[in-house]
Amino acid sequence: MGKLRQLCHWVTGDGRSIDVSDFVPQTHPLRQWADVLPWPKFVEATEKSFAGRFPKQRSGGQEPLPIRVLLALELLKAELSCSDEQICSRLRTDFAVMYACGIGHVKADRSQAHFVLPESLCQFRGQIDETLMAQLVAIQASEAMDEGLVSPEHLMVDTFPSEQGSQRVTDATTLYKAKKKSSKPPNK
Amino acid sequence: MRTFGRKCRGNGNVYLKLVREAERRLLSIGSKVLPLALSAQMLLQKDTAIEEAQQERLMHKLDQALEAHRHIEKQSRQLIHGKKLSHCKIVNPYDLTIAPIKKGKSNCPTQFGKKPGIIAEMATGFIFGYHLPKGNPDDASYVMPLVSNVDAAIDLLDWKYPKRIPRIRSLSGDLGMDDPNVREKLHQVGTATVGIPTSIEPIPKIPSPEMIEEVLHTPFLGEKQNPTQIKIAFACAYSRPFVESLISSLICRGATHIKYKGHRGAFIQIGMAIVAGNAATLVRIKQDRLSKRAQRFRRLFRLKPPNSNKNNTPKD
Repeated sequence: MGKLRQLCHWVTGDGRSIDVSDFVPQTHPLRQWADVLPWPKFVEATEKSFAGRFPKQRSGGQEPLPIRVLLALELLKAELSCSDEQICSRLRTDFAVMYACGIGHVKADRSQAHFVLPESLCQFRGQIDETLMAQLVAIQASEAMDEGLVSPEHLMVDTFPSEQGSQRVTDATTLYKAKKKSSKPPNK
Repeated sequence: MRTFGRKCRGNGNVYLKLVREAERRLLSIGSKVLPLALSAQMLLQKDTAIEEAQQERLMHKLDQALEAHRHIEKQSRQLIHGKKLSHCKIVNPYDLTIAPIKKGKSNCPTQFGKKPGIIAEMATGFIFGYHLPKGNPDDASYVMPLVSNVDAAIDLLDWKYPKRIPRIRSLSGDLGMDDPNVREKLHQVGTATVGIPTSIEPIPKIPSPEMIEEVLHTPFLGEKQNPTQIKIAFACAYSRPFVESLISSLICRGATHIKYKGHRGAFIQIGMAIVAGNAATLVRIKQDRLSKRAQRFRRLFRLKPPNSNKNNTPKD
């Protein structure tokens, strides 16, 4: 799969610029949720991990989508129980999701259908590994301890079962199957 | 009649009709034997004239007769009509041919899923780390990797004297984590294991002085503990079923229905659900939207000032 490049459409739009943080109320659950996460440390750890495993071959070229946006989308998927398509679609219209993704200003442009493609999100996820994921959880825990919100003194351990869910059937699969079906001669 | 049912089936001839006829005959005889044997047993118990040894022998014979009838009756229900049961078919639990219902795909008919382990704070349910092994190892093997996850988080702290670096003082778990090797390893690092039960008996909320003494005299562990911390450890162990609500919050975030592919995919999906869940927990802590139980534990952990007038006010 080739490297998918995508413009930061919320920056390049032609419309009027809107301040996202002014638009989302202080008491909005997603705003509060996003404010407690240590984003700079998350981004730093992710960049470090990616730089070690996927070194840049060439300098220059178009800037990739910010890791902050993609990482937030991936976390928001879990928080809001959304699919890739759903969360990318919400990012286009939902200011709270934009705030959670760290987008400060957005240029309103009706012609622009999306900000982040689901394919870009999928590609980003493909680069995350177990070590990085464990590191993110450890960073969050250490930040919470540092702020005096939690204590590691008395802990509990438990296990729980998780089933392997089926992959969602994509439009491409449906189209392929439909073509195959129509090309078959009818049984007499 | 011992070869009744399944054993008559197989690659050779199936004498199903013969078996059915024999079954019917024996069941009709057995139906009369059953009340007779029971009444005979009752009379035998009342009769004092018969010697004890003889009484025991007769009772044994009657028991055998009853058992034989029960066996035939059970087998008559188990006998299937010489057909193999296909998969995904709901069967009678008495049938010998029981197959699990498989929900896989043609290339992988049986999927066994994953069993992640989590280590969390007792007060609010903040998850410090998780472990997702390949396969299905025993629960005790989860403990040390999870503890090392917490140690990794503590190592990231940049605390300086006089602020004391925190450490794990006690660990609670279920009976599956009761392993002497694990206990020994935890004791060596000064972690109390009073929260890991050794039997099905519930752990007391308040320990007796003898219990505290026992912990204080445990090798390696006693030097690093004090009675107050042991009392808190017992209170935490008593409150361990709280973990169910914590797992429920992870279920809501899709941690138990893995959509991503492979072990790495499962690790990422569960990890994202944990980070998202932890963020929601931190919001609740910051806004003080916690249960009474959580607030009490936070006071015990000295995360909250103990002199709250609001809670000391008696209820009307």
